[in-house]
Amino acid sequence: MQRRGRQLKNHNAEADLFRRRALVGFLCVLLALGGLAAWYFRLQVVQHAEYATRSEANRLRLVPVVPARGLILDRKGRILADNISAWRLDAVPERAGDGAALLAKLQAVVALDPEQSARFLREYKASRPFKPVTIKLRLGDDEAARFAVDRWRFPGVELVPYLGRVYPYGPLFAHVIGYVGRIDEKDQAALGPAGSAYSHTGKTGLERYYDEQLRGKPGYRRLETNVDGRTVRALDTEPATPGTDLKLSIDLDLQRAMVAAFGELEGTAVALDPRSGEILAMVSLPSYDTNLFVNGISHADYKALQENPSRPQFNRLVLGGVAPGSTIKPLTALAGLDSGLRRPEDKVLSTGVFRLPGMRGRGWLDGVHGWTDARKSIYESVNTYYYRLALDMGVQRYDEYMAKYGFGQKTGIDLAGEIEGIVPSPASKLKYAKQRWYPGDLVNSSIGQGLWKVTPLQLARGVAAIADDGRMRRPHLVAEQRAAFDAPWRPLPQPPAVDISDRPGNVQVVQEGMAMTTAGSGTAARIFRGSAYGSAGKTGTAQVVNRRAAAVDPRSLPLWQRHRGLYIGYAPVDDPKIAIAIAVEGGGFGADSAAPIARKVFDAWLLGKMPETPVAETAAAEGAVVVAKPDFGNVSGSPDATPAAPTVPAR
Amino acid sequence: MSTILRFLADLLLRLLRSLDPFLFVALLCLMGVGLATLYSASNESVRMASTQGVFFCAGLFVLWLASRVPAHVLKQFTPPIYAASLLPLVLVLFIGSGKYGNHWINLGFFNFQPSEMAKLTLPMMLAWYLDRQRLPPALGALPMAALIIALPVGLILLQRDFGTAMLVLASGVFVLFLAGLSWWWFVAAAGGVAAIAPVAWFWLLRPYQKDRILTFLNPESDPMGAGWNIIQSKIAIGGGGLLGKGWGQGTQSHLDYLPEHTTDFAFAVLSEEFGWIGVTAVLALYLCIIGRCLWIAADSRDGYARLFVGAWGLALMVYVLVNGGMISGLLPVVGVPMPLISYGGTSSVTMLLGFGVVMALKARRAIHR
Repeated sequence: MQRRGRQLKNHNAEADLFRRRALVGFLCVLLALGGLAAWYFRLQVVQHAEYATRSEANRLRLVPVVPARGLILDRKGRILADNISAWRLDAVPERAGDGAALLAKLQAVVALDPEQSARFLREYKASRPFKPVTIKLRLGDDEAARFAVDRWRFPGVELVPYLGRVYPYGPLFAHVIGYVGRIDEKDQAALGPAGSAYSHTGKTGLERYYDEQLRGKPGYRRLETNVDGRTVRALDTEPATPGTDLKLSIDLDLQRAMVAAFGELEGTAVALDPRSGEILAMVSLPSYDTNLFVNGISHADYKALQENPSRPQFNRLVLGGVAPGSTIKPLTALAGLDSGLRRPEDKVLSTGVFRLPGMRGRGWLDGVHGWTDARKSIYESVNTYYYRLALDMGVQRYDEYMAKYGFGQKTGIDLAGEIEGIVPSPASKLKYAKQRWYPGDLVNSSIGQGLWKVTPLQLARGVAAIADDGRMRRPHLVAEQRAAFDAPWRPLPQPPAVDISDRPGNVQVVQEGMAMTTAGSGTAARIFRGSAYGSAGKTGTAQVVNRRAAAVDPRSLPLWQRHRGLYIGYAPVDDPKIAIAIAVEGGGFGADSAAPIARKVFDAWLLGKMPETPVAETAAAEGAVVVAKPDFGNVSGSPDATPAAPTVPAR
Repeated sequence: MSTILRFLADLLLRLLRSLDPFLFVALLCLMGVGLATLYSASNESVRMASTQGVFFCAGLFVLWLASRVPAHVLKQFTPPIYAASLLPLVLVLFIGSGKYGNHWINLGFFNFQPSEMAKLTLPMMLAWYLDRQRLPPALGALPMAALIIALPVGLILLQRDFGTAMLVLASGVFVLFLAGLSWWWFVAAAGGVAAIAPVAWFWLLRPYQKDRILTFLNPESDPMGAGWNIIQSKIAIGGGGLLGKGWGQGTQSHLDYLPEHTTDFAFAVLSEEFGWIGVTAVLALYLCIIGRCLWIAADSRDGYARLFVGAWGLALMVYVLVNGGMISGLLPVVGVPMPLISYGGTSSVTMLLGFGVVMALKARRAIHR
């Protein structure tokens, strides 16, 4: 067998050696394969549960079924916030490839502005490979059609149908309804795992306050997907619960009439039904088009909004604090009556000058009204009556009554971010003006000047309470809601009314004083001359700049330095159906600027006298010719308590 | 009629006489399992399974052919066969293609992988050479033995196919081991590898190879990138459980989570669908085949046959261990197929050809008994 052994070979020894080595080798094989089997036993039997779970997690994907967002309707059922089906363009990173190259190619088909591109690239880079990233929302019909034709050139890019939000009346309801915007990381985190279902979330206004109800509950489809995220088959589906529809108490026509009544003026107005607290109309002007924000506002548009000195985005209704001026007087008078310090017929002599006891100098100037009782103090707006009343009452008791009338407290309206406002007091003066309290401060406070800060809503709530014989209610926007299109409307429960006065007779005295404002020698008599209904009200002027305004004709001042015109009122006087509070920026005397607006709104609501030409809904967005620098946020000029305190026009 | 049948049966018997029935049946079982796995792993692609079936048929034919070659002829032609197998290894460096290096020669109808041939020819050549020496091999025989090993291993390393190079090296080392090379050499070699490892890490290994090792040490460090393969493979294996998800029911492979599921990770598909029971059964089949090889070797009176057949069996163990360990996270990822289960023409045909040689070396004795 061995033919040419060069050396002597010991075949038997070699065979023995081989067998020994082969045996060792076989033992190694046993060990190796046995070890491998043991290792697989560990993976497949011992750790099976863990890997089986991960295998399932790989395989199954929950795809959210996005619910339709709830509609927002006005009190007559007209749609104020709607959903429209639209197309958006999504890209899946792992299939679409490089983002910048993709955009360069897409430019030819779809118009993309640099901001959209930048936003897309940022999100694209951060996204997981299989998660679609939106390139553009709300494609135009022509764009969608063009893309559909060229679709084959863009693997991984898809036209996705979705429901977009539109506000048919844009600026008309900007500060009421607000808007939804693209969901960001913070919203996403707040919503938890379900958050990935939504592309938009309520950012301001009702959209934000009622976001949870409006957005509904996403459903799920359980899909078996392959590694590319492509669906192999659908396993089961849990349908989405659509968002709740909201019906507002606001009336579209009245809202329009209110904006029209302002004309070119800026400011705020709230009209509500004193019998229920339902808000009938509510504007903050200038306004802006909320539709701009839904798909991401462009830098240019945003800059324009930001640089507008009138700050259209600022919701003066709930955020803007103003000094109430003389519109506080009806409630101060009520405090006087309720405290027992004054009887309705108690008279004070108005000489035109008022000095604190022991004070020298000029003191507070006022018109000469002669002997003045509670009613006259309201309809002729007699300051002296209140100066004296406040001094008799003392700041502590005065503030207690003001708190009872709802000042310094949120009204609880269903809008986010409402401020509490400020009632003048030694503590608040120290806090906000960093100064100590003088008796003169109380004199100023009694006629609504000084350190006051009330929101138009608080004023409206107060006047509505007077109109409804002392019953104060929560002002609210949403009257009813329904769970689905075919579900019945259900009213939202409201907290019970609170009585602000123990003696209805006292409220009646105030009502009579306010009613006389629009008649005879009342401050707003000429505005309401010839109206078909009786109305009650109170004019007011809030001092904006701390100066001797009496010495200057306010009309000569730039708008932002002029006084703010205020008016509160209700009508019809014997059966109030509407109460209103109006603040006009730079309007000067309340009787000149604000009261006519009230008249027009009353006419619209009670007589159906709507403006002849409906306001162009977008006109307000552009803003009127405004040089104003509104300063709602600041505490309006608190006069020093020096003897030379400024005189304030009371009309 | 019956005479014709008897004649045909007789003819068949004569034709198949050169085959080792035990080994042959075990191989057929393994190939059946391989085809079944492949059919499922390729998402029920008849084309892929039938292509592999054609390879198997070709492999069985060369097995049968090789088994009929007289042992002395095989032995005689071993040096030229070895030399001939080196040629494509050189060629592939120039005209080859592949993912990470030049591994294949495109022959038009399939990609030929020359390094697979070296797995067979290297142990043959080394067995031939050592059989001419007095055993255990003396010091003087070692340089030549080292050269025989180094030529193909070096050429495969030049293709940047580290995994296959190590397997080919292993088959050579097994010949030396079975030839009775002193234990001290193995100890020294192990020490040498340990010493060289840091050097290799910093200068010799390619970044992708370092990645694989780092990934092996901690696959979760980059779950979407380098660690993906091994994590998905472990999920497939672990998800299979004791009894498996059933044939064609493996989700990891059918939904493409498992990479390379027809080639390197085919055994993971098998593990997912047939469970630990299936894995153990296949490992038992391998054990039978290896054991049979060692038995044939130990039974042989020829040194050349002993060394080659023994080394061939032990090398098979290494292939199984490396692939089975690699896909389950026990060993770093090296691109080596599971013998007769992974899809691959060259490796299947070479594997079967090797068993043909094994049978030829055994058959000779049986025929002339």
